[in-house]
Amino acid sequence: MSRTITIEPVTRIEGHARISLQLADTGEVEDAKFHLTQFRGFEKFCEGRPYREMPALTARTCGICPVSHLLASNKACDDLLAVTIPPTAEKLRQIMNLGQIVQSHALSFFHLSSPDLLLGWEADPKTRNVFGVMQQEPELARDGIRLRQIGQTIIEILGGKKIHPTWVVPGGVSEALSEEKRDAIQAMLPDALEIAKRTYASFKSLLPKFKHEAESFGTMPTLFLSLVSETGQLEHTTGLLRVKDAKGRIIEDKVPPRDYKRLIGEAVEDFSYMKFPYYRPMGYPRGIYRVGPLARLNNADSCGTPYADVALAEFRTLQEDSGPITSSFHYHYARLVEIIFAIERMQRILKEPDILDHRVRAHARGNRYEGIGVSEAPRGTLMHHYKIDDHGLITWVDLIIATGHNNLAMNRSIKQVADTYVDGNKLNESMLNRVEAVIRCYDPCLSCASHAFGQMPLVIELTDPAGKVVDRLVRD
Amino acid sequence: MIHSARPAKGKPAPSRPLPDRSALVIGYGSPIRGDDAIGPIVADRLQQQHLPDWVRVEARHILTAELAADLAQVEQVIFLDAAVDLPPGELRLQALQPDASALSTMAHFHDPRELLAWSQGLYGRVPEAWLITAGGADFDYGHFRLSETAAAAVQPMIDAVLERLGIQQPITDPITDPVTEHSDARSCSD
Repeated sequence: MSRTITIEPVTRIEGHARISLQLADTGEVEDAKFHLTQFRGFEKFCEGRPYREMPALTARTCGICPVSHLLASNKACDDLLAVTIPPTAEKLRQIMNLGQIVQSHALSFFHLSSPDLLLGWEADPKTRNVFGVMQQEPELARDGIRLRQIGQTIIEILGGKKIHPTWVVPGGVSEALSEEKRDAIQAMLPDALEIAKRTYASFKSLLPKFKHEAESFGTMPTLFLSLVSETGQLEHTTGLLRVKDAKGRIIEDKVPPRDYKRLIGEAVEDFSYMKFPYYRPMGYPRGIYRVGPLARLNNADSCGTPYADVALAEFRTLQEDSGPITSSFHYHYARLVEIIFAIERMQRILKEPDILDHRVRAHARGNRYEGIGVSEAPRGTLMHHYKIDDHGLITWVDLIIATGHNNLAMNRSIKQVADTYVDGNKLNESMLNRVEAVIRCYDPCLSCASHAFGQMPLVIELTDPAGKVVDRLVRD
Repeated sequence: MIHSARPAKGKPAPSRPLPDRSALVIGYGSPIRGDDAIGPIVADRLQQQHLPDWVRVEARHILTAELAADLAQVEQVIFLDAAVDLPPGELRLQALQPDASALSTMAHFHDPRELLAWSQGLYGRVPEAWLITAGGADFDYGHFRLSETAAAAVQPMIDAVLERLGIQQPITDPITDPVTEHSDARSCSD
């Protein structure tokens, strides 16, 4: 006779989700599921819209990562136009994407995950939040805000506004970078790099406290998927797809984004609105893979910038067998390395002689019926795939969102954490917080088209097979 | 090995002294969910007016964490939002206080009272804060226009902001063509 624990909503993530843990009579976890409970239908309601509206429309998928959708969507539109965008436009898009990486990773680390890391799993949930962090580590909290400000300001300087800029357009960008704007961005980066470096150093000093979590938070052999540059380095905006296995062997390399369908299939389960992508050649669910900061660092031969390469070398010592890092707990670490990389990379791009070039857009009409755009969002590889008719109206859309790629891995991770920490005979906060926390490692973005209406208290109930509540925790 | 020292723990870093007069207006809401867009639409309209230098206006999809630093730099903040608990088209003005318990479970956006608490906790400053809301009738997905009742509330909302700021009208000629669509959500700049 099995029983079920339900955790709803999962807190300190973006969007609405529920976790259910199926228990055996002995109290051991039989199964664990991560349910995405919100439905939004972007792929459907975009049908019939002119393709040029797609970047602005799909950017509304999220208020945190609109730039990611803006880039992937415009790359899909570039493909519809069949143009190669000017090199300077490519660099400017990269800077905007890197600014986005900085601000989004800062939010994830400083404000969503640091309460667990700094205040502990057993801390009272009333204080185990960002206000608790402000009390205990105010400088760290202010650093997080400052990094977000810098990332958002870079986006605003380039795009004219922090949220939903329309400066990235099909064919490139709408306006060249001025000397004044370049100088304004450059002036912020040394401060950002100092913050990133000291946060990285602080986090490294905390790591010994989390040895057990590093062993049990989604520590599993999977494939890793990401873009890499043509020379195999860390890349977020352009490049080619690479897949590595858990032993570090490259099993797919230099795959053009247009061929993504050869690599990825999408399965559907009846307990979630989120699809389950898998590596097609291995089938479902054997073809489990991970994307995002962990996958990108595992796949890259190097970062190509000085401090980030030092940090990457240190990151790689986390795995004793010198293979890819297999613990999802180390997504936190990978995010901090990527923040350092993003800042250094922006510094480098801004020094390039053609960065102020005025040729930043290729002009064309729709020349293809099908367009595919792939970029690396903070949470992983983001894919936009559109089909249009003779009038340039959208007839079909497929969006594979970064978080979606990690769906199989997230489900497997909560099962592993539940197996390790949950005693179904007596619930307590810290065991269930760890189940939530492993999801936070992935920093899932379940999409916010609008602010929610009202508050959602967290209720965790343990019911017996007859539906009788035998244990209950409430977090207002 | 990367070494970098964190500054010694202590009080909030001293912020710049506030100017004699300063205000921030933040309209927020989703431009593709019908009446939810009234906040950013009103903010866009205010940005088109010749407001004094001491007023800054932001149009946002959601309220995000870094706004806490902006709040610490002004004397007064006015948030503009749509409401589901008001009759369509009706306006409400509320004074806001910092509230650390007004936590969003969704984490990527913030309640204005929570942001005020962030400002207080991180920078030791809280501006005088107001929330002006307009009742909405239609919040459906993929809707780019305001309902008639919400559209009729745009000008009164602008008036309420100007009154709150103590700014005499009209700043510009009245706009005869009422804005009902968030054009920014519809196309890339060409």
